[in-house]
Amino acid sequence: MRRLPVYLLIDTSGSMRGEPIESVKVGLEAMVSSLRQDPFALESVNISIITYDREVKQILPLTPLDELQLPEITTPESGPTHTGQALKLLCEKIDQEVRLSTPDQKGDWMPLLFLMTDGKPSDSQLYKEMIPEVKKRHFASIIACAAGMSAKTEPLKELTNEVYSLDTVDSTAFKKFFKWVSDSIGVGNRSIGATEDLVLPPPPAEVNVII
Amino acid sequence: MDRKQRMATRKNLTVCRLNDSARALDKAMQNAGVSSADKESFLNWAISSLWNTFKEERMNQRIMIENEVRQLGLRFPNGTVKKEYYHSFQLPVDKIDVIELSGMDELGLTLEMGKPGEFFLFGKPQKAGDFTLKLRYTTVEGEPASELNIPIAFNPSPRDLWRNVPTDPNIPYYKPDCDKEYLKVEAGKDGSPNKDIVAASQRGRSHAQEGKARDDHFSLFHCDESDWYIIAVADGAGSAKYSRKGSEVACKTVIDHCKNLLLDNPDFETSIREYEAERDNQEKRTNVTRHVIDIIYKGAMKAHEAVKKVAEANEESKIKDFATTLMFAVCKKYDFGWFIASFWVGDGAMCLFDENNKTAKLLGTPDEGEFSGQTRFLTMPEIFRDPEVVAKRLRMAIVPDFTALFLMSDGVSDPMFETDKNLNDYAKWEEFYNNLKNGFPEDEIGGVDLSDDNEAAKDQLLGWLDFWNPGNHDDRTIAILY
Repeated sequence: MRRLPVYLLIDTSGSMRGEPIESVKVGLEAMVSSLRQDPFALESVNISIITYDREVKQILPLTPLDELQLPEITTPESGPTHTGQALKLLCEKIDQEVRLSTPDQKGDWMPLLFLMTDGKPSDSQLYKEMIPEVKKRHFASIIACAAGMSAKTEPLKELTNEVYSLDTVDSTAFKKFFKWVSDSIGVGNRSIGATEDLVLPPPPAEVNVII
Repeated sequence: MDRKQRMATRKNLTVCRLNDSARALDKAMQNAGVSSADKESFLNWAISSLWNTFKEERMNQRIMIENEVRQLGLRFPNGTVKKEYYHSFQLPVDKIDVIELSGMDELGLTLEMGKPGEFFLFGKPQKAGDFTLKLRYTTVEGEPASELNIPIAFNPSPRDLWRNVPTDPNIPYYKPDCDKEYLKVEAGKDGSPNKDIVAASQRGRSHAQEGKARDDHFSLFHCDESDWYIIAVADGAGSAKYSRKGSEVACKTVIDHCKNLLLDNPDFETSIREYEAERDNQEKRTNVTRHVIDIIYKGAMKAHEAVKKVAEANEESKIKDFATTLMFAVCKKYDFGWFIASFWVGDGAMCLFDENNKTAKLLGTPDEGEFSGQTRFLTMPEIFRDPEVVAKRLRMAIVPDFTALFLMSDGVSDPMFETDKNLNDYAKWEEFYNNLKNGFPEDEIGGVDLSDDNEAAKDQLLGWLDFWNPGNHDDRTIAILY
């Protein structure tokens, strides 16, 4: 069966501790239950979650939506944000997990990437180095989200044209954001075929478009 | 001694023993320096404090066992509505007892124990959603029962979620959500049956869900004067907004072009006969090829131009908004057999299937990329700039006879064949042919009766296109010359 791989990269650095990360969890839960109502998503969407702070972990390997159970997400007291390291792990996981077409096997749909951060990469050198590597992986779309006032959009713009920001990091904002993510996944599911650019649904009012 | 006496003796013995114990206790207290005045209050204090220690220890024991159970990390995998659920897990029955799982009956689940400690949770979930089951068990006698909440989620059955929203007829380039046609060619004067064409096209569930139009298209034609059959199938790109028009224009253009060139073309017919008579003669081959290029290749080019024209006429769009694949074939029966020529750009499948000789000849190679859904389109100018285009995309064949010529969009070929390798495997085509004839009874999908002149085949074929295949819900189009 053809899968639509969806990678979620979530910033779990110290500043996310407390309400922000709890809000992310609520948002993720809402996203999963909304996707479960979409028959096409139920049969094709596979989700992986990578969290990054000082440590980078794939807390959920690429898992079919119907089997998915959200894992625990923890945040350290404080420490750096290793976004570059996260992109490195992402590339490794893409290479391992995403199937390409061969005469014997039908390839997956082109993967989607959602990256959320409330700060900026602490390992900016590695981050810069990883950008061309990520681009080589042929994502159908890369969507970056700068959450909260101290999130920097500049580094995200180097990664993708699709950069969005959230003014607040509360549960309302994240819920709306992840609802929009699930709508975008729905679109990803259907519009694949010809054009290189995915046309995303318009973001909700809480999500600002960064040009 | 009689029974009464024996009982009396035993009673005396018990009393003696109790007296002995009391005396020993007295002595112990005396030794410890407890005065007889303090004796009673000391005993009360000792018993109540020991009782507390005992209770505390018992509670601690319960908590330890509870922790142990929690640390098992019991998780129930997700289920799907109307699908058998089955999960086995272990519990430390040497430490816990009276195990029950409350809330499971309402969810249609049953818990059973196999070997000691091994449990099976099974049943057929009826309701979708996120639920919590409560595992209850006892640990230490006298302690309250322990409880552990375990979440369980049931996915809805994907088949129940599909909606069928009709396409708004006011959209630009509207086309009906399905199409079907039976092209009956009457038997010859000698009563021998002639091949017919049946075709059907059904909007994919993913489009129906959103009320979006069908992007596929087919066109059929049989020229009664020249006896040529022309069949075209096109698959508009899902992501291109007007691809439904692209596919339609492509099909109609090639039919028109071929129809005109085939109506009265004695040179072409002669070249075919001459080539058939001398298959090794290069010159004769070149001769036919020249005609085939005029008819087939130019037809494809014309289709490209026609789509481009429509795109140009629409100010706010580009040709890529009309992106479509295209496959078409022209066929004619001669006394020596069948002549077939074809062109194919994009994915899907076009195949000459012969059950008697057990062959399945693909009339080209599907264009597929590394990822699913990547392909090439008629609307890409580079298709015609490729110097290999004729060699790659044009096919010509002469065969004594065949069972069926299939043209289908990837909405049919992907679920039925999955890989390129399978498309080249005769056994898979035989399986496909059987699926077509028998349908999928377990899903209540009927088969198609491909007997001569069976006009009902068009409805059967349209119904057959509703087959279920997880993850494959693209538009489906198939045309069969048989």
